[in-house]
Amino acid sequence: MSVDPFATLGIGPVFDVDMAAAEKVHRELSRALHPDRYIGASPSERRAALTKAVEVNEAWRIVRDPLRRADALLGLADLGDASAIEEGALKADPEFLMDMLEQREALSEAKAARDLEAVRRLAVGIDARARGVEAALSKGFESGSAVSRADLPGLARKVGELKFYRRFLDEVSAIEDELAA
Amino acid sequence: MAYSTKVIEHYENPRNVGTLDKSDDSVGTGLVGAPACGDVMRLQIKVNEQGVIEDAKFKTFGCGSAIASSSLATEWIKGKTVDEAEAIKNSQIVEELNLPPVKIHCSVLAEDAIKSAIADYRKKQVRRAGSTKHAK
Repeated sequence: MSVDPFATLGIGPVFDVDMAAAEKVHRELSRALHPDRYIGASPSERRAALTKAVEVNEAWRIVRDPLRRADALLGLADLGDASAIEEGALKADPEFLMDMLEQREALSEAKAARDLEAVRRLAVGIDARARGVEAALSKGFESGSAVSRADLPGLARKVGELKFYRRFLDEVSAIEDELAA
Repeated sequence: MAYSTKVIEHYENPRNVGTLDKSDDSVGTGLVGAPACGDVMRLQIKVNEQGVIEDAKFKTFGCGSAIASSSLATEWIKGKTVDEAEAIKNSQIVEELNLPPVKIHCSVLAEDAIKSAIADYRKKQVRRAGSTKHAK
């Protein structure tokens, strides 16, 4: 990531973002950068405003999503130490993977049986775990992006886990749509 | 994104989906995941006395390319020796399936799964050799 989405919105790089305040900043910036305000401006000014508006929108999309927000914080904390992050992210432990595989298997069985109840039960379990990880990330990124090197692999692993949960819950949504149709 | 015909073929008609007994000493189980996309893959090999992979099974929860990569991997390693299977590179999978750059990580996952299954099998052999020695 080339730009700091937190800086773009003028907020601190933390996991526990004040959403109402961030949304307000996003709205104000979007209004200020709106093409209507640049009707009489030069082409280069119009282009610059548009580029900035795109950047602001993307920053808001990142900041409002816990997973992308955590990823962005990792990126900011990294500063040339990608190896520590990769180590944590890539070495998902076998037990976690085994468990994820079993959960996915149970989900595909519930789908095959068209058992919406079972699908939702599995989703509730994974959702609770995702919240647990978010709570851990909130604590881990308490000091913003200034996390210690030693904590990076662990945090990267948490973010990795969250991606598996997210993927699981996306699958649940797809199944719900399919079974409801 | 458009999948290649080979990917679709493997996706719709995956080879060797299933499970082998992971407590069997001649079975190696590889379990890998891609944090980037949340895909999970299990690949198992059954090795005979001559060191030849006589059976391979997989189960993949992921996109079409991940399923096709692991399906192809099991097809390729069957009948190969463990050493030959270990030499398989993800680039060969990319080439065979015509995977686009954004899907290369799926082939990496399949290569890792083969290596992880082989590592598990070898660990069991060492343990078995160790326990026979103790028995003497």
